[in-house]
Amino acid sequence: MTKILLAEDDKLISNSLCDALKAAGYEPTPAYDGEEAVAKTKESVPDLILLDIMMPKLDGISVLWELKANPATASVPVIVLTNIGDVDTISKIVEAGATDYLLKSDQSVDEIIQKVKDVLARTVKLS
Amino acid sequence: MLAIVVSAYIYASMRERKFLRSEANQSLELQQKVYQAQVLKEINDRIGYSLDTGKIVDIITSSLGNLLEYDTVSYMVLEPDGKALFKCHVEKTVTHDFIEQVKHKMLMSYEAILNQAVAPKAVDESITGNILDDSLRVEVQSFFNLPVVISEKLVGLINVASSEKGRYGAEQASILYTITNQAATAVSKLQSLLESEKGKLAAVIYSLADGVITVDLTNQLTVYNPALKGILGIVTEKPLTMFDIVDSLAGKVDIRTKIEQAIAEDKPIAIPEVLLKDKALELTIASVKNSEGEIIGASVVFHDITTEKALEKLRQEFTAMMVHELRAPLTAVRWSSESLLKNLSAASGVEPAKVKDTVLTIETASNNMLELVNDLLDVAKIEAGKFELNMQEYDIVELINEQAKAFKPQAEIKHLAINVTAPEKYSLKFDRVRIGQVLSNLISNSIKYTDSGQIEINLSVNAEEKTATVYIKDSGIGVSREDLGQLFSKFKQLRGSEHARKGTGLGLVVSKGIIDAHGGKIWAESAGENLGSTFAFSLPLNK
Repeated sequence: MTKILLAEDDKLISNSLCDALKAAGYEPTPAYDGEEAVAKTKESVPDLILLDIMMPKLDGISVLWELKANPATASVPVIVLTNIGDVDTISKIVEAGATDYLLKSDQSVDEIIQKVKDVLARTVKLS
Repeated sequence: MLAIVVSAYIYASMRERKFLRSEANQSLELQQKVYQAQVLKEINDRIGYSLDTGKIVDIITSSLGNLLEYDTVSYMVLEPDGKALFKCHVEKTVTHDFIEQVKHKMLMSYEAILNQAVAPKAVDESITGNILDDSLRVEVQSFFNLPVVISEKLVGLINVASSEKGRYGAEQASILYTITNQAATAVSKLQSLLESEKGKLAAVIYSLADGVITVDLTNQLTVYNPALKGILGIVTEKPLTMFDIVDSLAGKVDIRTKIEQAIAEDKPIAIPEVLLKDKALELTIASVKNSEGEIIGASVVFHDITTEKALEKLRQEFTAMMVHELRAPLTAVRWSSESLLKNLSAASGVEPAKVKDTVLTIETASNNMLELVNDLLDVAKIEAGKFELNMQEYDIVELINEQAKAFKPQAEIKHLAINVTAPEKYSLKFDRVRIGQVLSNLISNSIKYTDSGQIEINLSVNAEEKTATVYIKDSGIGVSREDLGQLFSKFKQLRGSEHARKGTGLGLVVSKGIIDAHGGKIWAESAGENLGSTFAFSLPLNK
């Protein structure tokens, strides 16, 4: 089963997205802060990471840099999910090597699931 | 001395004779009065707003030709630096010697008036008008010296001289006195007015918090105020030059070119943001004109916008955080509704447990958002000073127990105990809903920032200070010394990388507003990070 790490500190958002991912046939693992997210990738490398930016302990951009610095996780696709839509943050996200970027409140769960499918399909083709 | 005595005598005798005048004389007098008025008007117009005494004397002198006959009209001004200015206009051809005689008579007169020897270091001389012819045999046969006094100070001497005897009698003396007196009075008034205006202006510039400079057309610094040094961070006891100012701007703005541009285009130039090492400045450059409208230089105002910039940054961060915090529950509501709909229309049938779960998520998210919006509204009310309290006598212990009980389930999830130490009952006047809100904010914060241990709530009454104080002590992450003072200010959610938790920090701002409105005090204590914290508020007993 395709493993997806969901780094999201808001439990409500995390719960509803986890449910949707399960319903779509994926195996989601929640992480509730940046440090937990990095630690979980070390336990087991996921197939894809959904990453929030504004998180306690370690923010999403720092998590992204750590993931890219680690050869084991450098090629794992990361979709950034955030509610911070300013240009500055977006450019930082792109610079840090995110695969894609979505503004949470602009997306429906279905659209996010679709994005996950698309990114996974592309990744498989590449590898 | 003689001239003065003579002229005083003529003046006095003229006044006596006034009563004996015939009608024919009266019409002549009238004609002359009209003439005088015209000359005075001319002098007034030409003087305008000039306070250059040399120029004023010059104007008076050159107006006399219409009223009097003379071979030469001259004026002498003694400069404060010991130099003398001598100007002579030659109406009828005379000799060099004639002019020397005039000059000598004027110096004598000066000495008589000042009652001291006058020996100018240098005489700046200028002779205009008709040519001089030394072959002529002309002597000064009659003359008249007229002191020009402005604001009780002798500014110069006017002389008319003639090669004819007895040229200047009572009529002429009268004309001259009238003219110089009136011109001098007008100038005195103008001078005192301008001096006081100038004084006011200088006081304004000196007391301005903004830095102000003026420069002349060659970009030389002419004026600067005391605030300037502080704003530009210039440390020197020496008088400033333009170089100091250019230096202090560290190449961030080419001030000299901008000044030249403001002068050339005769338009003010605003430079909204000049970022120096530790300061942000706003510059306004404008040309400076004299009373004739000619540009004589430029002024630059340096306005310190460091605080505004810092506030703006805080405001932006605050807005970004609020947007994030408001979007989070909205996202949860949206996604949960979506999955609820899907669940309800699923072919496999509705799973009641799942539906209940989702609806609970929606409820929690909505509550979170409502709480946030309410906090924002409360902050707005506090800031607008429109916070109203419903003060009644209540039992505060009952309220504390109520709140502690409400938070028990939440504390139990983190295995935290909540203990209340208080008398059985204690009544005082307060707004029950609002104080409940403060307790709820403080207790929920304690739970949020504590991972193990307990939360102790304790009420203590100080009869001497007439206060009742509620302490909420936790064994949580604590607060660093530098953060303690900022806890209750807006825009301040302490987000250390180590232990940041969710929250806007608005709860504490609202709590402070509520306690302030009660006339009480709210504060936080902590021995340091990871050493727990105590939040406390006190309410006055006599309210």
